[in-house]
Amino acid sequence: MNNIWGSMEQYDPVVWNWIIAVYLFMAGLSAGSMLVAIGLKWYKQSRGQPTEGLPVIKAAAVIGPVAICLGMALLVLDLTKPFEFYHILLNYNLTSVMAWGVIALLVYIPLVFVFAALVFEKQVLQYAPWLAGTLKVCRQVENSLNKLIFALGLGVGVYTGFLLSAMISYPILNTAVLPALFLASALSVGSAGNILVATLFFSKKESDCIEQVHRIEYPVAFNEALCLVLLFVGLNFSGPAAQAATAAITTGTWASVFWIGVVGLGLVVPVLASTIAPKAWRHTKGFLITVSCSTILGVLALRHFVVYAGQSYIS
Amino acid sequence: MTKRYVLVHDENKCIGCQACNVACRSENNVPESVTRIQVRIEGPYGNFPHLHFKYNRVSCEQCENAPCVKVCPTGAAYVNDDGIVSINEKKCVGCLYCVAACPYKVRFINPETRVPDKCDFCKETRLARGEEPACVTVCPTQALVFGDANDMTSEVRKVLDTKNHYQQKVNLGTEPRVYRIPSRKGGIKA
Ligand code: SF4
Ligand code: SF4
Repeated sequence: MNNIWGSMEQYDPVVWNWIIAVYLFMAGLSAGSMLVAIGLKWYKQSRGQPTEGLPVIKAAAVIGPVAICLGMALLVLDLTKPFEFYHILLNYNLTSVMAWGVIALLVYIPLVFVFAALVFEKQVLQYAPWLAGTLKVCRQVENSLNKLIFALGLGVGVYTGFLLSAMISYPILNTAVLPALFLASALSVGSAGNILVATLFFSKKESDCIEQVHRIEYPVAFNEALCLVLLFVGLNFSGPAAQAATAAITTGTWASVFWIGVVGLGLVVPVLASTIAPKAWRHTKGFLITVSCSTILGVLALRHFVVYAGQSYIS
Repeated sequence: MTKRYVLVHDENKCIGCQACNVACRSENNVPESVTRIQVRIEGPYGNFPHLHFKYNRVSCEQCENAPCVKVCPTGAAYVNDDGIVSINEKKCVGCLYCVAACPYKVRFINPETRVPDKCDFCKETRLARGEEPACVTVCPTQALVFGDANDMTSEVRKVLDTKNHYQQKVNLGTEPRVYRIPSRKGGIKA
């Protein structure tokens, strides 16, 4: 528009775009797959079952490092000064959620590589025999390492939510539910990712320990749905600007993304699939692949919905 | 912090002429495609024949409790000794967190420096020389009053003590240092 006061372009409330949405997805995927794998490991250990070579754990050892590195690469390229990103590693403003995220990732990223190296120890030693000493040391502290990765994984999952909720003028973002929602959806995309990679590349039998991972899907989907309900019910009681933001799920493109992507693909399809699908299908490759892809797309849609619809309504 | 620079915009005196907008542009070499101040002409409000417009100044509010400073991961967005919210170009990585976090949407990326930019009350040029910001100087109707609110004898102090005023989005707790004298004209939404 040609106002006498000038162009309105710089006042677009949507500042962070799909690159941030994909980064948030990747960080959630990495953290979620680590949490699920380490959780499964502990579950098995507590029952005295072997944990070596489980397809789901192998899958996490691939997803964990790859997803977070791709996500970080996107994030750095999206800066207006990508070549000066090192300043973020030198200066820390501890009132900023982003600074805390940088600290957590700085420890998390190397540790997921150690996790992966221990899972694929044989292969690593084949190509890099000089790592034998280091890996031996890591193996000795493996249990503590796993605890640390688990804690950092929770941190990474939650921080991505706090990153957005710190922006006080966007009613959809500025709520305490968002970190919980992001953590729950990180767990669901993490387990779906693990199942997908495990079925595609690592499992010999069709149902190799996918059963236990499946079992956490219900409570996680329930939590995710609960967080979404809380988010929008909460908006309804938080004054006129927040109430206006509930239009995000009733009108416009983002409403379709919400109902088709987030609710349909992300919640309804997986839950229906594991309740009404005939038993005979449940462990077939095609079924597992379809259902996990549906969950993954659902979470990807959720991140986009939150980033775009969240920034479109300003109080 | 010994100084507390504030700005008062009198919406009764303002005529929306954009002289401030233009003066700011030339004083601060603001590139063509972006702006540090706009005076938006909103309305009309009221019912015929009692129609009027609202003149809404949009520029950095120099928040006392600034969200843009809180979220900046590197401390590149900071508050200066004089209370003016400033940007250290060297430390900035351009993550846009501050641009997104500003509730008044007045931060923008300067296309030349690739760093966020906004009103700083002309602190490096005019203020440093003991002059008032460019917008205040050129305003033909004297709708803008600028000064140190900690100085009991200053004009801003007198204006704020004697006239009814408001700040935008106080509910967010940002404590803006731009004060507005509301238009005396009334009217309800039809
Ligand atoms: S108005 Fe925006 S840019 Fe200015 S101090 Fe407040 S939050 Fe920062
Ligand atoms: S864009 Fe620059 S000033 Fe703004 S938050 Fe990021 S690093 Fe700080």
